[in-house]
Amino acid sequence: MNFKGFKKLTQNFTLPLPKTLGKMELDSIFAQLEKRHPKGEDPWGLNLSKSRESVRLTYPFYKHYFQVRVIGAEKVQDVPYMVVSNHSGQIAIDGMLITGAFILDVNPPRILRSMVERFVSSIPFFGAFAAANGAVLGDRSNCEHLLRKGESILVFPEGVRGVSKSTNEYYQLQYFTQGFFRQCLRSGTDILPIAVIGAEEFYPFVYQARGLAKKLGLPALPLNPFFLLGLLGAIPLPSPVDVVIGDPYPIPKDLSPDAPDKIINDHVLKIETVIKKLIADGREKRRRFWGSHLLPSAKETHGPY
Amino acid sequence: MALTDINSILIIGMAGGLAKITAGLLLKEYPNATITGVDSRETDQFLKDSRIKYQRMKYTRSNYEKLFRNNRFDAVLHLGRMSHSGSNPRAHLAERLDLNVMGTNRVLELSLHFEVKKVIIMSTYHVYGAFSDNSTFIKEDALLRASLHYPDLRDVVEMDQLASNWMWKYQHQIETLVLRPCSVIGPQIRNTMTQYLTAPYMPVPMDFNPMVQFIHEFDMASVIVHSLKYVPTGIYNVATDQCMSIGEAKRTIGVASIPIPVFLLEQAAKLINRTFWSVPEYLIDYLKYPCIISNEELKKHLPANFFKFSIEEGLALIKQT
Repeated sequence: MNFKGFKKLTQNFTLPLPKTLGKMELDSIFAQLEKRHPKGEDPWGLNLSKSRESVRLTYPFYKHYFQVRVIGAEKVQDVPYMVVSNHSGQIAIDGMLITGAFILDVNPPRILRSMVERFVSSIPFFGAFAAANGAVLGDRSNCEHLLRKGESILVFPEGVRGVSKSTNEYYQLQYFTQGFFRQCLRSGTDILPIAVIGAEEFYPFVYQARGLAKKLGLPALPLNPFFLLGLLGAIPLPSPVDVVIGDPYPIPKDLSPDAPDKIINDHVLKIETVIKKLIADGREKRRRFWGSHLLPSAKETHGPY
Repeated sequence: MALTDINSILIIGMAGGLAKITAGLLLKEYPNATITGVDSRETDQFLKDSRIKYQRMKYTRSNYEKLFRNNRFDAVLHLGRMSHSGSNPRAHLAERLDLNVMGTNRVLELSLHFEVKKVIIMSTYHVYGAFSDNSTFIKEDALLRASLHYPDLRDVVEMDQLASNWMWKYQHQIETLVLRPCSVIGPQIRNTMTQYLTAPYMPVPMDFNPMVQFIHEFDMASVIVHSLKYVPTGIYNVATDQCMSIGEAKRTIGVASIPIPVFLLEQAAKLINRTFWSVPEYLIDYLKYPCIISNEELKKHLPANFFKFSIEEGLALIKQT
């Protein structure tokens, strides 16, 4: 179906949820985004009109289903950032919610360019959808070009290890790779640490069959008892999500991007510590939802339960 | 240093639309030069200029030798790469390998032997291949991965590699340029992409929408003429600064599109190849994954605002034809 057909089909369609995003509000947000992206499309596949439709259609999920709350939005300045986040939730819903947060709840709005795994762009429909909404193949060249263009990048330095955790590992930050920090050194871009709380409970009981996944050549193989319900089991639980934004981490100006691992690791560990603290703070303030008293990871406030 | 002293130019692939435009521009740039155009194809319409000699010939070694012996060429433009426009692409692979690879080798050897000053070889961005893990803005030093998936593109990759190796080996004796343009479009161009874009009812992938680059035929010809004079030995991607999604391109042209999933499109392409007309299987990947090239290297040698046609203008012009 071409875009016009899709637009026609969806223009009068609103989900039966409390409140949709007003046209005025949407216009105002996208007027600002059009200033950043005057051509409407960019070489990485961003498409503002499709992005607008995505925001309009997913707003009820964002605002009412996952009840996204952004804490610390005032810390975001009108400069490009490398946004560094923890990763959770088995599938990259957290990435979409962060992207939504930076469009809807951060001023001025911006479309974060999420660095995604190689296989994402080969997934039919989803690859094109992700690219139209700002996702970019996570490689060095793309990152360099986008930072040079003044775009903000979203990275999950935990990678697949972060998103594919078993229940007993929830809220445990996996080790960060160094690549994002070296890219920031190359471009002189500051880092914006953030934490997402609540995404772990989208699928609360998961066992990652890592050995079997390796044998099958898959990046992860989450086994979830809810999957016995078929497609219904794939629907994430309505766990309220908090996006907690930390203070920008200024990139050292006197450090070479080719500095030895040991020096880079010191900085990366500092950023990990900041994000661990944001996770701990966020879990203290987290909201309950029906049934959450049954979920061990949502009951406890600090560290892995 | 600008190459100004050019009196005789050989254009291989002269029956093609791009070669004709290039010839016209060359005569403006070098009014005293003569152009010898050769092609294995018939050509009905031609530039009516006494400074252009057209010769239909088979691309054999003896014919080439005769050509180089009887003319002292200062510059050779090899624009005659045989593409996959036959009714059955696979059947022509051997012919294409001979023409594109062996033919290019003959041209390069003779150019060196007969002391040609500059050779321009027209390759294509297809050499990089369309892959899901392609970076946006592929540079000239990227791997040429096209033939990994499609042996059909072996001739294209081998021709490019042959020319590139040759270029570095003999860089002190002869100036050689390898140009890798994005899809060239225009009223006079009949390549696979133009045929695809202008087909009245054409299937488009509904599940993928990669960004693509187009360059108008006039801009491409201008790049060739400018390169002959000012651009030094090297490999250069040729593209404007603009990109567009394939879906948007189809909409801009305004032809009826039939959206279908790619896995069906692949089957449809096989069926179409056997029955109606040629849609090379490799083209499906270029409709699925992006292959966006970087023009940074070439732009170092081009004056500002060099390109005259935007993508929209280029597409509008093929729409009219």
